[in-house]
Amino acid sequence: MSDLGRVLRIDARRTAPFLAVPALALLGAVAAWHALLPGVAYWDDAVAALFASVRVLGPASAALAAWVALREHRLGYLRGLSARSPALGPLLDLTLLGVVSLCAYLVVAAIVVVKTLLHVEAGHPQVVGLLAGALTLLDYTVIGYLAGRAVPRLPTVAAAAAVTCLWGVARPGTWTYLLPPPGVEHIHPFAGLRTELLAGQALWSLGFGGLLVSGYLWTLTRRARLALPLVAAAGLIALTTLWIHAQQRTPLAPRAFEYSCRQWPLTVCVHPALRSALPSLEAALTPLATRLSGTPGGFTRVEHRPDNDFPRPGHGVVYIHLTDLSPGYEHRAEQEIQISLLDARTCGNPAHAVGVRYTALVSAWLLDETPPRMTDAAAARAFGRWAEARRRHWLRLHYARYRSCTLRGLDFRTV
Amino acid sequence: MIADFSTIVARDMGIRRGGRWILRPTTFGITSGVVGLAGPPCSGRSALLTTLATLRRPSVGELELLGHDVTGPAGQRAVRPRLGLLPHRFGWAAGVTAREYVAYAAYFKATPKNAAEAILERFELTDAAEFEMDMLPADLRLRAGLAATCVHRPDLVFLDEPLGSIADSERDELIGVVRALAPAVVVTAPDPAELTGWCDRVFTIARARLIESLEVCRTWSRVPAGV
Repeated sequence: MSDLGRVLRIDARRTAPFLAVPALALLGAVAAWHALLPGVAYWDDAVAALFASVRVLGPASAALAAWVALREHRLGYLRGLSARSPALGPLLDLTLLGVVSLCAYLVVAAIVVVKTLLHVEAGHPQVVGLLAGALTLLDYTVIGYLAGRAVPRLPTVAAAAAVTCLWGVARPGTWTYLLPPPGVEHIHPFAGLRTELLAGQALWSLGFGGLLVSGYLWTLTRRARLALPLVAAAGLIALTTLWIHAQQRTPLAPRAFEYSCRQWPLTVCVHPALRSALPSLEAALTPLATRLSGTPGGFTRVEHRPDNDFPRPGHGVVYIHLTDLSPGYEHRAEQEIQISLLDARTCGNPAHAVGVRYTALVSAWLLDETPPRMTDAAAARAFGRWAEARRRHWLRLHYARYRSCTLRGLDFRTV
Repeated sequence: MIADFSTIVARDMGIRRGGRWILRPTTFGITSGVVGLAGPPCSGRSALLTTLATLRRPSVGELELLGHDVTGPAGQRAVRPRLGLLPHRFGWAAGVTAREYVAYAAYFKATPKNAAEAILERFELTDAAEFEMDMLPADLRLRAGLAATCVHRPDLVFLDEPLGSIADSERDELIGVVRALAPAVVVTAPDPAELTGWCDRVFTIARARLIESLEVCRTWSRVPAGV
């Protein structure tokens, strides 16, 4: 083993930073798990989850780095009065701390990747996103370490964690949330992270870390040759900041996809990231389709659409907008279809308040929900007594009034 | 008095910390031998020692060590490899042996590979080298600290309260070791009485002023420092 390797090994044993890896990994994994969309296996969302983990892991790494810097400050009598470069000690510390942070990050990344692979994944792995997260985490580590070196006091550890945490959750200005770690919470299907923006963020992190490290080394050594990396890092930051500022728009871009469909008895088509939901959606929506069959609202095809796309249902096609598969998603899809059948203009008219209550009674049947309490108890009783076939027949006759929320008590007494 | 060949020359050097003077601007020179620096805790004794060892810059005035102006980075770079400093609490993590500790210091001092082994032998630490630092008795731990501080054979050594936790029975032997560390050694202690009798000169720091004590019994002076 080389002398440098031996010294690194002694440093690793002395400061014991690797003991922090499990704690850091646990913190990051919990943050990433919370950020993943329930039931959805989408590579872009996996990258967003990694960024979410960096927002938690980063301040923790910064605090650890500040604490190590604080402890290593006491070794100035050995490492400061040195025949070697005064930059050597800090570089050894940063190497160890960087390895520790990256180890924790890799554990988190492995968990997210395995979770995405185990489900039926969609999209493509974004390696540049993984890289941007890693470089951002290293920036946090460098910030914490330099803070600990600059002010070797115990409160610095808490201050480093607090300031970096604040940067993760609150940004000044409207565009700064695009700076690393970007403020993206969830990446819903139909959209994807813009690869060029991820690359820009990775370069920004690289430049920022480079500027901090080379700037600090220059203050220690005053070596003129450090001007080159210093200027290069500053230039990289300036360019990438300008470029990111010029984006001024969402970090997401529409992503091409092909529907995953289930054809029988209904045709249900969803984004491939949600294809594991097809059997349960089919099972949940078939009774609704059966009850609406024979009416103008009858449908034979259900299509999953992006959040900002609301086509008018018709010609046997209805649309749903699911963003995740959290519990109750089947019922939410049913409700959405039922609401899309109603005429919002007439149902929102206060003059039709009574009709709205009758419509709610019928909707409760369509959705297998508990019927609402009605003023017209006779109508509710009558409708409740009818057999399924009679109700369907009644709906075919009164669909227009149901849709426009203009049903009357009289309608429940005549079939 | 400042001689032309002084090892340490301070001209109107003052140290401020937290808005108050730790050492008011003062002029002094130290040539060679063992110099004692006494002062009660929190008197600025350790701050003065780290300033002399170039780990802290003087607030005002000039400081020359071994002929180099150390108020600038160039002078610091030139002189640091020739200095040694052992703080009062040179804390070390559990699990590191005396040999590893000295080897670690030797790496940073850029000494030849055999220097660490040689100094362990010189300080009679060969048998204790494989013991972890935390397990060593106070005198051997101090010897290991001195070995790490002087593995590169410095010209000027600063020791902050080295004998504070040493039993009287070991004290005389370690005083001999300390006197032989380097041509010039600066040692601190809380009480001037602990330094008189074996230091060539003794300074006292009180109320941010450095005063030289004239009552120095030169029992040890027959043995020159650095031998």
